[in-house]
Amino acid sequence: MTNTAKDKADAAEVVVSGKGVGKTFAGGSVVALEGANFDIERGKFISLVGPSGCGKSTLLRLVAGLIDRSSGELKVHGTSVKGPRQDISMMFQKATLLEWRTAIENVLLPTEVHRKPTRDDRTRALELLGMVGLKDFAFSYPAQLSGGMQQRVALARLLQTGADILLLDEPFGALDEFTREHLNVELMRIQADVGATTLFVTHNISEAIFLADEVFVMTSRPGRIAKVVDVNLPRPRTLKMQVEAEFNHLVEEVREALGAF
Amino acid sequence: MAVAEEITEAGAADAPRRGNVWRRRLLTHLAIFLAIVTLWETGVRAGWLDELFFPRPTDILVSFWRIYISQGNVWYHLYISLGLVLAGFVGGSLLGVGLGAIVGFNPLMRRFLQPYVIVLEATPRIAVAPLLIAILGFGAQSKISIIVLVCFFAPFINTLSGVVNVSPEKLELFRSLGVSKLQTLRKLVLPDAVPVIMAGERLAMTAALTGVLVAEFIQRDVGIGSLILTYTRNLNMASAFACIFTLTIIGFAIFKGMEIADKRIAFWNHEEGRERLSARRRRAFEAKGRA
Repeated sequence: MTNTAKDKADAAEVVVSGKGVGKTFAGGSVVALEGANFDIERGKFISLVGPSGCGKSTLLRLVAGLIDRSSGELKVHGTSVKGPRQDISMMFQKATLLEWRTAIENVLLPTEVHRKPTRDDRTRALELLGMVGLKDFAFSYPAQLSGGMQQRVALARLLQTGADILLLDEPFGALDEFTREHLNVELMRIQADVGATTLFVTHNISEAIFLADEVFVMTSRPGRIAKVVDVNLPRPRTLKMQVEAEFNHLVEEVREALGAF
Repeated sequence: MAVAEEITEAGAADAPRRGNVWRRRLLTHLAIFLAIVTLWETGVRAGWLDELFFPRPTDILVSFWRIYISQGNVWYHLYISLGLVLAGFVGGSLLGVGLGAIVGFNPLMRRFLQPYVIVLEATPRIAVAPLLIAILGFGAQSKISIIVLVCFFAPFINTLSGVVNVSPEKLELFRSLGVSKLQTLRKLVLPDAVPVIMAGERLAMTAALTGVLVAEFIQRDVGIGSLILTYTRNLNMASAFACIFTLTIIGFAIFKGMEIADKRIAFWNHEEGRERLSARRRRAFEAKGRA
């Protein structure tokens, strides 16, 4: 499905919405996030970009149900978020693979903790490993894989959950520049393939724009969404777009909103 | 081409050279060992060493022959002692790992039990041994409980720290997947702690061997510890030395055995273990044609 067709089909459906979402820590003395208002439509790729302490990871964890909000209303698929849920899946900066399990066993983990994996589950896990380019490494242990390959396994595991909302917290932040760019391109392809709504946290402005339909620009003290920048670059996107004028205008817009000039 | 030939020649010449190095090393070890034994033997014969306490190596060899073959009395004692070691080790390990997991996984319990753990850790466990005999009486049960006591701590502390130190990122992953507490313990916390627990088990096994000797020294009836005590009291030092060297060999075997067990159980921490299991999984997959 192309992006425009997807837009037309599900234009109106909001899957994640926040009204005045706030989070304070240390008994209210530290404001991590304040008054976040947003609507995220089905299938959109959203980047959250900002400096450390802008509350981007906090917002992600609130949506994941890993922490409770201090104020406001946060809904996923129309129901209030009260804890971790199966229609949301999260990926972290560290691959967090279980070292005693092979790649495919790691991918199957989300299934296995809820029910006994079937033959179909295993076939699906193999397919996903193929999708992230690790077909030949299905039976390797994490220590036998490079950092980039470990993150690919984590990505396959993320998709194995079957969740339609994916949360990624600087997933390739610990990798070198080239590996990261390469994985970003693959992530876009896969995201378009499965059509999952995606929230992607990063502190890299170019990366945020390159991937996203919308960029949530966040500023710190207190953490808040300063601006939402629409990215109307055509898809599929290529790395070359990053040196074109239109892209640079968007970078300028984001930098201005961040006050990063 | 010329270069390639040179390389092949060098490679071919390399294998026998490596064999030579190995043989030379072995011969050096053997020579040093023989030198020590000869020095000992001549030392005793020349009267530099008191023969009463330092029997000649040849006499020790004769004692080995006697206790293992002509008299064959050591087998029974070994059987008894190693049985106790096994029972105490298994008991102590199960208790240690079980309690360690429970205390480690339960913050409330940890907070209130922590002081006692520290106090117990500072107390030499062997000091309690006479008390255990007073409570349980003479016999196997008090000996086993002494071994359990000396075995218990390393697995307990290691399991506790392994369970407590599980990575917060992995815990968050499990939480985001909505995994229950029990499942998290089973699928994440315990397997994650296995390498640390195995390190504790290795210490426990060494402790068990010391423990059985102490237990048998305190109540001398049967077992290799009692046998050493009897031989020493009868000034039969050659046989006592034969028993001690027997324990050296057992200790070494236990050390090696635990090393092998660690490589099998915590396989993912060892390169060859990972490779072996990874290859096995792949073969199983190829044989079945599906995952």
